[in-house]
Amino acid sequence: MVSNKYKLFTWSLLILLLIMLFLADVFLGSVNIPIKEILRIIFSGNSEYKEFSTIVLQFRLPKALTALLAGFALSVSGLQMQTIFKNPLAGPYVLGISSGASLGVAILVLGVSSAGIFGQIGPFSNWIIVLAAWIGSGLILLLILAVSTRVKDIMTILILGIMFGSATTAVVGILQYFSNETMLKAFIIWTMGSLGGVSMSQLYVLTPSVLLGLVIALISVKMLNALLLGENYAKSMGLNIRLSRFFIFISTSLLAGTITAFCGPIGFIGIAVPHLARLVFKTANHSILLPGSMIIGGIVLLLSDIISQLPGKESSLPINSITALVGIPIVIWIIIRKQRFSNIS
Amino acid sequence: MKTSNKILEIKNLEIGYPVSKKSFYSLFSDINLTAKKGELVAVIGKNGVGKSTLLRSIAGLQDSIHGQVTINDILISDYSRSEFAGLVSFVSTEIVHVNNLRVFDLVALGRFPHTNWFGKLEEKDIVAVNRALEMVGMKGFASKNINEISDGERQRVMIARTLAQDTQLIILDEPTAFLDLPNKYEIVHLLNNLSKTEKKTIIFSTHDLNIAIQEADKIWLMLNNGIIEGAPEDLILNETFNRIFDHTNLNFDKVKGDFRMKRKHSEKIGLIGEGIYYTWTKKALERMNFTVDKGNVSIPHVLVNQSTWQYVNENSIISVNSIYELANLIIESK
Repeated sequence: MVSNKYKLFTWSLLILLLIMLFLADVFLGSVNIPIKEILRIIFSGNSEYKEFSTIVLQFRLPKALTALLAGFALSVSGLQMQTIFKNPLAGPYVLGISSGASLGVAILVLGVSSAGIFGQIGPFSNWIIVLAAWIGSGLILLLILAVSTRVKDIMTILILGIMFGSATTAVVGILQYFSNETMLKAFIIWTMGSLGGVSMSQLYVLTPSVLLGLVIALISVKMLNALLLGENYAKSMGLNIRLSRFFIFISTSLLAGTITAFCGPIGFIGIAVPHLARLVFKTANHSILLPGSMIIGGIVLLLSDIISQLPGKESSLPINSITALVGIPIVIWIIIRKQRFSNIS
Repeated sequence: MKTSNKILEIKNLEIGYPVSKKSFYSLFSDINLTAKKGELVAVIGKNGVGKSTLLRSIAGLQDSIHGQVTINDILISDYSRSEFAGLVSFVSTEIVHVNNLRVFDLVALGRFPHTNWFGKLEEKDIVAVNRALEMVGMKGFASKNINEISDGERQRVMIARTLAQDTQLIILDEPTAFLDLPNKYEIVHLLNNLSKTEKKTIIFSTHDLNIAIQEADKIWLMLNNGIIEGAPEDLILNETFNRIFDHTNLNFDKVKGDFRMKRKHSEKIGLIGEGIYYTWTKKALERMNFTVDKGNVSIPHVLVNQSTWQYVNENSIISVNSIYELANLIIESK
């Protein structure tokens, strides 16, 4: 049995690592700012050098916060999907949930806005965009659920997820073709969204949305545990299947939809991080796996962000490429291990 | 007759599955059955006759088409979700494969109806889980991973989960299906013990008739034209078991309590001897499609004397020391 001492040690180590990476992410950048100044800016809000506090408060802090929240959100939504679909390879990106969010935003920006219903960029536009992303991801989630009640094979569902993703991309392409230049430009800028592209005002929308999603995820821990054994067992133990699906889907749509709406699609965190958490904590219990995935997700995304900004360079690499390079080896490892299991049985 | 200890009562039940929103495919109708406190009930019947559907209908996992199922004199549809989960637990045929799931945690899932919104295990829950593991003899396995234990052990753990759920009624769909012979016997024997010591009503479906006959208090026999319930011994004595496999070459042997292939015996052979050696020599000869004629020495015959056999025909008398040699000898001399 894993001793309590070991558990405590693991948790402290992970939390310490998370804090250090967060500070490192704020500290590192093209402009060299002494760590003393950064700490002073964070805790007192001002500095002797005006440009330093602008850089830290307007750019680095929002970016690090976004990386942290995106890591939390994507990992938790991946964990939820892996349990509810009983599929180790499920995640918001592979199942097309992120594409669903993109489609929602595309229809809003290119379709509805082009028709002139909304003004250019109103004060509520952030909320409207995020709402469109939630609806888009929620709809794809329902579609996958409908299919998964008929098709039980894991790989088939995965391929269907990829098909849904491609289909939404195709629809987005068609929408782009028919939209006018200004809208197209607005949409292209949105698709290039990155962790660094999230402004302070967007963070006011992103933070409460993600926190709400995480709170719902935390209160659905018992439901997720019951679903581990499959729906029949869950039902026989008194779980309200519909209610728990509703909770988990709302949470997943909030988490994956919000992050996709503001940062664009970030792949493979959702699949890979829950497996890392299982590896570290050696449990299937969601009351440990869920906070564990959150923290590891934060660590992985902060680390990816630090890698992406190439010290000394002005520009940074696309975050999606880094997370793919981190996540894909883990996914391959799962597939190969799965293959070995199915050969035995 | 006392009715107070009658836990489960099924009246005029029709079971099946939905074909469309309004129509059902009916599998079985006019089901009238009862089960009492502390009874072990075995559900027997051919594949596809509706054993699983019946069990799932009782466990509230599937809607029945018509009729009623009552537990403690209340219709199962009138119980709330959590009340019902405190009353009936279920083990399905699917094998649970979850990585990193410890035996203790799996059994603790049975506490679902008894814990708070976050599923936090209180002292009493931990006591209940440990007790459940002890009852099925799996206490030393608490911290093992469920993917690391054998099929028989996993089935014990699944039963422990129903004990942790602490329900009056436990329903198991083919709990012996994937097990080897010793495990089949042990699991059904365990169910028998639990029904007696813990006063649980346990209903399980199985194809292992000979085991069910030895352990069950009652058999629900699902035939093509109706369900018959009764003690296994009664069903043997009134030859009901023969009706399970009508139109096949299987025959129920009343004395031995098991099925035998109906054989087309052709040639006669004499057999002289007694005791267990006689019995097994007779079985061997019948397997070779002989009709055994006890004590007949006017035709080719076999004399059994403890562990030596003599084959006697018109031409010779040959002695051998095993039934295998005897069988070869008879085939060669034909």
